[in-house]
Parts: sequence; structure tokens; C-alpha cells
Amino acid sequence: MKSKTALIFNALLVIVFVFAFTLPAFAGKTYKLGMSLAITGPTSDAGNPYAKGSEDWFKFVNETDYLGDGDKIDCPIRDDQYKNDITKRFFEEFLDDEILIFLSYATGGNLALKRDFEEVQIPVIPASYHEGLIVDANYTFMPVATYSENAVSLAEYVVDKHKGTDTPKVAFFIHPSAFGRGPLEDTQKAVSLGLGIDIVEVVEHGTDLDNTAMLQRLESKGVQYVICHTVQTPVATMLTDAQRLGVTATSFGEKGKLTFLGAHYTGGSDLIALAGTATEGFIWADSYNLTSENNEGAKKQLELAERYGRDDKAANSHNYGAGILAAQIATEAIKETKKAGLKMTRENIYKTMQTLNFESFAAAGPVTYSPTERIGVDVQNIYVAQDGVFKKIQSFESQYIQKVRASR
Amino acid sequence: MSYFFQIVVSGIVVGSIYALAALGLVLVYKSSRVANFAHGQIIAAGAFITFFLTVRLGVPIFFSFLASMLITFFLAMSVERIFLRRLIGEPIISVIMVTIGLASIFDGLIYLTPFGSENFSFPTFLPTESIVVGGVSISWTQLVGVIITFVLIGCFSWFFKKSTVGISMRAVSDDQFGAMSVGISVPRVFALAWATAGLSAAAAGCIIGNITGLNFETLHAFGIVVFPVVILGGLDSILGAVVAGIIMGLIQQFASGYLDGNFGLNGTGDVMPYIILLIILLFKPHGLFGIHEIERV
Repeated sequence: MKSKTALIFNALLVIVFVFAFTLPAFAGKTYKLGMSLAITGPTSDAGNPYAKGSEDWFKFVNETDYLGDGDKIDCPIRDDQYKNDITKRFFEEFLDDEILIFLSYATGGNLALKRDFEEVQIPVIPASYHEGLIVDANYTFMPVATYSENAVSLAEYVVDKHKGTDTPKVAFFIHPSAFGRGPLEDTQKAVSLGLGIDIVEVVEHGTDLDNTAMLQRLESKGVQYVICHTVQTPVATMLTDAQRLGVTATSFGEKGKLTFLGAHYTGGSDLIALAGTATEGFIWADSYNLTSENNEGAKKQLELAERYGRDDKAANSHNYGAGILAAQIATEAIKETKKAGLKMTRENIYKTMQTLNFESFAAAGPVTYSPTERIGVDVQNIYVAQDGVFKKIQSFESQYIQKVRASR
Repeated sequence: MSYFFQIVVSGIVVGSIYALAALGLVLVYKSSRVANFAHGQIIAAGAFITFFLTVRLGVPIFFSFLASMLITFFLAMSVERIFLRRLIGEPIISVIMVTIGLASIFDGLIYLTPFGSENFSFPTFLPTESIVVGGVSISWTQLVGVIITFVLIGCFSWFFKKSTVGISMRAVSDDQFGAMSVGISVPRVFALAWATAGLSAAAAGCIIGNITGLNFETLHAFGIVVFPVVILGGLDSILGAVVAGIIMGLIQQFASGYLDGNFGLNGTGDVMPYIILLIILLFKPHGLFGIHEIERV
């Protein structure tokens, strides 16, 4: 009797062991990625919702078995506080973990690591859309149109919509860094290639409490359009001052007044939160679909945010959408590599990404990469701030940016 | 001509706000000879407390403003009591290092809240139209900011010159051991100096936040931005902070209005105040109103 019980016990033990050891094989594979960005510190107003967007998308992928066969994505999200040395350390740790794709953040950090990306041959999806990141670089896959593309497009938009036969006088209001200067240089190149604007002045802002002198100076020089490429806070202060001084144009290109326009990080719901009614009429170029558009894509973004308990502020942020898109690009790259029956290596992911083509609800257009094209979404939407939200005016693809790139 | 006067008005507005933001640094230095590197974080905390009380709890903004000053008063007093009191008599550099550490701790604590990484703005509570006189415009936000600045600076000046506590604080600043020998409680004076600095920081935070919007990075940067004002005015002079603040504001606006965009220059509004600061310090190393101490050896 005793030996029979022992036999049954031993048999059960064997079954348990066999089951325990074979379970992982049935549970699917886990693909490792790494993300480093500023969840706290400078620019975390953008980095925080961006991180939430990526986190939510990866959760969704894992919970819904989006990759199939129980495969999952493991993407630790680290806070580098906008410090390049920390980003570099995280990147090296991620390399030790043998990640397939690096999801990175700031212009400075990406420029600092640009050579490393090429050396290690790792596909990178940055949150910075600085044109310099894809010049002489193969492994950086820009999710959307670059800042330069934003700035040149806005200049083209000014030329298109300017009333009168004179050359529109434009001023640039930029961040005092490589991030701010890059798009200016490309717009200046576009002007030298025939884009019909006159860049009267370039203002590199500081921590200004009052922009009165600057705005009056621009007006006195006959400037009609101010193209901004920086973050929201300085733009908000400038718009508030312009409203107080009564120099904001009430219609696009109004004579004797200033029409304000801005690239990706200048606009969005955060600008409206900071500047309130002074934002009215602000023209913004961006490649993301906004929840204020109330279309199918917007609904999907809001559903995802609701599913993971995000507040309205995060759910409606275009940076939340940007985080989703970056995560989607990585997910689609893995999915397509798997579909092609290739081994999951950086090299194969890189090959797949070069032909990646898919629609995203978070973006203004399809993501399309090619062996010679490193920008995912080429389409930009031109939005205008109206009644407290940004509304789409039209889609726009820059012609001059291609000439600028060809001239390099 | 209105261009000139507009720049003057803007310079005075900016300068007065600098002066208010600098006041907290002066108050702490005046009593304890310590430069407080966590001042910017207290400025930000004051602004966010006002926002939280107004928007999340529905307290009228005027009362939120007063309440935030009261809260930062006790917050700064607690900081002094917990972290700095035991450093009385220790080398000044140790105390300064502690304030740098405190700045990091405050950063971390604020980052744990939504205020550390999101943008907010105060609800509109003043008329949005500007006041225009002779072609010179000033917004209600700026005007109220300037008025609050001058009222507070007036109160602090009176407090230091006429009240017993204020005179005790000056005595401690002058000579800690001498002050103790006549029965003044140095720890109490230090606590009060930190508390009043906290109070003024909250006021500055609310005014700056109302102008720039509420962004933690922008707000706490003002703790450092106003250092040149304090140095120019003389580290321990309230009047110096006011005069230097206005000088800095005017230089900034005039440089921006007349130099930037001309002669191939750009960004002079940010650089000129420092150039002028260096020139003045060459002739007056203790600042415009700072005490020139002579030690008998």
C-alpha cells in the first residue's frame, strides 16, 4: 500500500516537473526592447505623456496577444532626466540585455550616441525629430516629419497664403541650442534655393518674463510672421505678451500684425493650457492626429488611454500619441520580422524596418520606410488654434525640404 | 517715443518681479550668511500650492494666494528646523551644500506629483484687456504683480527697520555671538528668516506663474536667474535687491529693444545684464548696497 502511494506521488512529481519545464516553450517568446527618456526634469512635460503612450501600447500588445503565439514585448522604460550621460549609461545597460530596438528621446542624447548606434548596428526610434539624426546615419528611424520639415513647411505655407505681392517678412523664434538652430539653417537653405520669404530676424529666447521689446522690434521691422521652434513655455509667454500689446493678427497674415506659427513641440493642448485665449490663431505643423479631431484614430487613442486609466490631460496630449506611434513602429517591426520567418536579431529587425509600411491611428498619415527613406510619416497636418482646441486646416507635404536634402 | 516708454515700463515690471524673487535669497543671507540654492524650488512650490488650492479644492484665488504664503512660511521654517538648525556654527560651505541637497530633495518630491512634469495655468481672475496710457500698455497681471511686489518689499523693509524681531535679525546678521550675548535667540532668528523667505518665494512663484504659466522647470529656474540681482544689489540689502532688480530688468529690455537684431547682435537681452554686473562689481565688489566689512587683524 505504502509503495503504491509512493509510486503515485513520484508519478505526479514527474508530471509537475515536465510541465514546469515545458511551460515556457508554450508560453511564447519575449522580445526585449529598451526605452530611455525624460519622465522627470527638463522637457518632462513632453516625455511623461510620451512614456505613458509607449507603456500603454506595449501593455495592449501583450494583453491582446497582438504578436500571436503568446509572444510578448518587454520594454523597460527608464527616466534619464534629460541628461546625456544617464542616457548613455542606460543604452549600455540595454545593450548588455541584448535589446532589439532602442527607443530614445532627446536631440542631444541622440546626437551624442549617433556613432554608437551605427557601430553597434541597432535600430533606434527617437522622440527627437532633429534632421541631423538621420544625416549620415542608417540605423535611426524617425517616426514622423523632422523639425526642419515642420519649419520649411510653415515657411511654404506662409508663401502660399500670404496676401499681397511683396515677399513675406518672417522672424524665427528658436530655442538656444542645436535643437532650435537646425531647422533654421534648413529654412535658410530653402530660401537660398528659391523659397520666397525674407528672414528678417532670428530670436534665440532666454527665460523671459516679458517679450515686449522683442515684439515691438519685430513689428517695427515690418515682420508679419513669426515661426517658432522651441518648447511651449516661451511661446506661451510670447503669445500672452502679443495679446496684451494688441499685435496678434486676427486673421492669417493681417497687415501690421504678427501671425504666429510653430513646429511640433511648440503647440498642442499644453500650449493652450499655458497661454489660454492668447493661443487663438496660432498655426501649428505636426504629424500627429489630435483627439480634438474626433475621428476614428482619435477615438482609438482615447480608448487606449481609458483602458489603462490615464487622465484627460495625458489622453489628449499629442505626446501621448507620439509615444504610442514609437511603440507601434517597434511592434510592427517585430511582427513583420516574425511573419517573414526570420530569426529575431537586430540585423533582421533592421532589414524589416527598411520596408515597414503600416497605418497608425496616432499619426496623420501612414508610416512608410524604405532603404533610402528614414522618415516614417511624411504627411503633416496644419492646425490652427480655435475656440480652445487645435483644428486641422489641411495636410501638407513640403516640396523644398527635398531640395534642401538633395543639396547636402 | 512710446516705444521707449513701453520698454521702460516693461523693464520696471520685469525688474520688480526679479526683486521679489530675489528677496527670499536676501532674507536668508541677511540673517545667516547662507546662499540658499533651494530657493527656486520654494518659488515653484508656492505657485503649485496656490494652483492646487484654487483649481483642485475650489478655494478663491485670493485666499489660495495667502494660504500658499502661509504654508511655505511653515514649510521653510520646518526645513530650517529639521535640516539647518544643527548646522549653526558649522562652516558656511557645509550649510550651502545642504541647501544644494535640499534642492535635489525638493526636485524629487515635486517630480512625484503631476506638477513635476505637466503644464498648468491659473484660472483667469483679472481682466484680460491691457491698461493703455499714452500708447504704453501694461497687463493687469503685470500691474498686480508690481503692486504686490512693492507692498511686500515695503512691509519687509519696515519689519527689518522698525520691529523688534527685525532688529534682532539684523543684529544676528551683524554678529551672531554679540547678538547671543544680549539675549537674542539665534536659532529663532534663523527660523524666522527662512520662514519669511518662504513666504516671499510663494508670492514670487504665484506672480511668475501667472505670467509664464505653471511649468516646474521654468519656475525653479528663477531661483538661479535672480542670483545676479542679489549679487549686484549687495547680498544683504533689501533696497539693493529692488534697485538691482529694476536695473537688470531695464538693461534686459533696452538691450533686447535696441541692440538685438541690429549690428548683427542677438540675445543681448540675456547677456548684457551679466556684462553690466561684471563692470559694476569691478568698482563695487560688494554690490551696490552691500556692506563692506573691514576686519581688523
